[in-house]
Amino acid sequence: MGRFGLIFKSIAKGRVTEKYPFAPIELPEGFRGKPEIDPEKCIGCGACATVCPPSAIQIHVDEEQGYKTIDLFLGRCIFCARCEEVCPAEAIRLTKEFELAAASEEDLHQVVKLKMAKCAGCGRPFDTVRHLQFIAEKLPEEQKPMLALCPDCRAKLASKILTVAARRHR
Amino acid sequence: MVDKILAEYGAVVLDRNAKRLVVQVDDKQLRPLAEKLFESGFYYANGVGVDERGLGHDFAMYHVFASEKDKLYLVVKVSTSNLKLPSITPVIPGSNWAEREAMDMLGLEFEGHPEPERLILPDDWPKGVYPLRKEFDYNERPEFVERKPESTPQRTDVVQLPLGPYHPALHEPEYFEIHVDGEVITDAKYRGFHIHRGMEKLAEGRLTLNQVPFLAERICGICGFTHSIAYCQAVADAAGLDWPERAKYIGVILLEIERLHSHLLWVGVVFHLLGFDSGFMHMWRIREKVMDIAEALTGNRKTYGLVLIGGMRRDIDESRKNWVLKTLTELREETERVSKDIFGMKELINRIKGIGVLPKEDARALGVLGPVARASGIDTDVRRDHPYLAYDKLDFKVPVYPEGDVLARLLVRYDEIIESFRLLEQALSEMPQGDVMIEDYTIPSGRVGLGATEAPRGEDVHFVITGVESKVYRWHPRAPTYNNLPSVPIMLRGNNIADAPIIIASIDPCFSCTDHVAIVRKGKVIWKGPLGEGVKQVGR
Amino acid sequence: MMFKKSLWVFHLNSGSCNGCDIEVLNIFTPKQDVERLGIKLVGSPRHADAIAFTGPITRECLPKAIEAFMAVPEPKIVLAIGSCACGGGIWFDSYAVIGGIKEFYKILKEKHGIEPPTTIYIPGCPPKPEAIIYGVALARKAVEQKQKSEIFVEESDIDDAATLFKEATSTRHFIPKIEVIKRGE
Repeated sequence: MGRFGLIFKSIAKGRVTEKYPFAPIELPEGFRGKPEIDPEKCIGCGACATVCPPSAIQIHVDEEQGYKTIDLFLGRCIFCARCEEVCPAEAIRLTKEFELAAASEEDLHQVVKLKMAKCAGCGRPFDTVRHLQFIAEKLPEEQKPMLALCPDCRAKLASKILTVAARRHR
Repeated sequence: MVDKILAEYGAVVLDRNAKRLVVQVDDKQLRPLAEKLFESGFYYANGVGVDERGLGHDFAMYHVFASEKDKLYLVVKVSTSNLKLPSITPVIPGSNWAEREAMDMLGLEFEGHPEPERLILPDDWPKGVYPLRKEFDYNERPEFVERKPESTPQRTDVVQLPLGPYHPALHEPEYFEIHVDGEVITDAKYRGFHIHRGMEKLAEGRLTLNQVPFLAERICGICGFTHSIAYCQAVADAAGLDWPERAKYIGVILLEIERLHSHLLWVGVVFHLLGFDSGFMHMWRIREKVMDIAEALTGNRKTYGLVLIGGMRRDIDESRKNWVLKTLTELREETERVSKDIFGMKELINRIKGIGVLPKEDARALGVLGPVARASGIDTDVRRDHPYLAYDKLDFKVPVYPEGDVLARLLVRYDEIIESFRLLEQALSEMPQGDVMIEDYTIPSGRVGLGATEAPRGEDVHFVITGVESKVYRWHPRAPTYNNLPSVPIMLRGNNIADAPIIIASIDPCFSCTDHVAIVRKGKVIWKGPLGEGVKQVGR
Repeated sequence: MMFKKSLWVFHLNSGSCNGCDIEVLNIFTPKQDVERLGIKLVGSPRHADAIAFTGPITRECLPKAIEAFMAVPEPKIVLAIGSCACGGGIWFDSYAVIGGIKEFYKILKEKHGIEPPTTIYIPGCPPKPEAIIYGVALARKAVEQKQKSEIFVEESDIDDAATLFKEATSTRHFIPKIEVIKRGE
């Protein structure tokens, strides 16, 4: 009876083949598709590049031009959505887009170039303007001027302050 | 009882908890201790060579033994300062490749090893460069050296059938050489490790603790999630973490979904190899629904990417839970109906009955795992013997068949499909409320951890030593096919060449997980003597 | 269009984890059933019009992959399926792999003087079966390419931090009060 049973089952089941690529398919809520950076929101902090397991997001700093480049390469992305989880500005998110095939590798890159601010002490570009503004919102007013300095100059200043304070205390 | 044996051989206990025990022994005591353990029911689970110079020690070898009876994993450590260690392969054949792996990757020398040859690294890899030593950078690419010609000379007295590395019957690049006498197989040879991707070094080098689960998941595209769970269990074991209850249940749900899709896939592939393509299509049609469930719960059909050291990244909401429960009920009915029709086909059953037999004694000696062991009458299952996640709170049966043939392996997996449906229904309806992730934890450095899970193909054992700055110092996964593959030559013994594809497929081999060399001679496995010699002996 | 009729595909696994391979197999099963579109898997590279590449190309596989690649007659299409084949995936800079199809072409060019053929990149880990079908449709120019490279350059006049925040070169605003804490209190 077995093999006839299978034949009846196939007939009773009807068509199971979907019409794709001639008709779109439905995707469930929470599908992890193409990651997209919103260039207006991105602050260039680099948290996504730090957590990305395959290093599909890479950060390059061009000190001469004063730009920080965030380069998202879809051709290496594993669609794990860790970047979405850690982004403090909610700038990167995974869309439902899965039709990502491209005829050249260049088409798989999304590049965001952000302007960097020069240090008030040494004049070296050290962080993006947007990231500094983002931090400034969270800092108390009296600490904000510290943001004008790069980490090196800031450390020097801090040690100077402490020396002065210690001397006064004595 | 274990303590008595250990005390007899002067083992020093380094660390212990309810599930595992770490001891150190003197290198002179290692071989007698291993022999004694093997006699008292332990099998060889994993072997890891570690360059411990970064921890202030020398090189060391960790042998992991497991026992279902004692419900214990035993980690035996031996240190060496001159790279020389005694080999335990003469007393436990299962440690053969673990030791050869350490030779290849670390340059350790095992005195008394019967087959000290290259196993993993490609033939054009220069001698004396050991990727797992700490001075080697993970992204260093040494110059190609000239490939040696094949070590086995062409022979005229037997018919050699080369199979691979690219062959229509293989979905992964592997090289088999099958020797036949008329229609009957007399010998099989295998060169693997085409898929060595250097992931252990990558985990130590570039990735952080919370990135390794994503790497572990890519050990295998079919049963990857269980690897990432095993890794996180190992780190949790090293750091003494305990996941929230709800995360444990979600872990069980996803593991069982993975088992369902893997077994349905396997059943389909077996039917395809038997020339029964309508069965193949029916099975994969049913499997498509399982993939839809996975996609709805995790956001991806495969590589779920949901697990971190602290727990699960996504929760299952109420409406989705009910939808999954409803779909599962339909699926279970459909599977049962289709299988009833399929098992009613006498010609199919007769085709796979009595071929590829693996007797129980051979199965135990080789330490085979999972469905292959259960089809040979060995009652073993990590979910029951060494419970992890929420398995100790759920009710399930472990199917065991004594026949040891391909039919028994099909029946074991079919029963497991049905048990998976039951487990899923229980886990989904009994899932407690609460958090799914702990974020507040610290991982101490230099601690040893062990994680074991029951993958669709058998037991996965992951060994971890934690490092500083949220990195792993050493991570070594062991996949079940590693232990199951040597049983293939025994199964092939005396069968027809036409049955070879189905017999090889019946262990559900996963070459991206594993690779290894085995030689069979007139049905007897030759463990001793180098590869070329073994082949020479076959000539009559 | 290069191929007007049925496209025959040879599947070349160059060290993939099986995820992409199973999805390639998946498109031949009832739900997607691409044989209705004339696409067929063939067992020998010599019968094929296209190669479906999966995996990051391991060192051990490299010479074998080159041989199989050269056996496919011209003209041919390469389908780089999955993130490993497109850009090396999570192992792109490991010692044991070459790191994706682009590095593979570099080696082909250097050692054998072969120019890269038409290549379709299909990212995904693994790509959905429908994404693979879309890639094949793209190779046959049946659909428009959606994915384009995007470059955003921020336009801004501010480039020194001193104008953003009041400069902090002098110490007098910041001197904190130091309290001495004695042990045991």
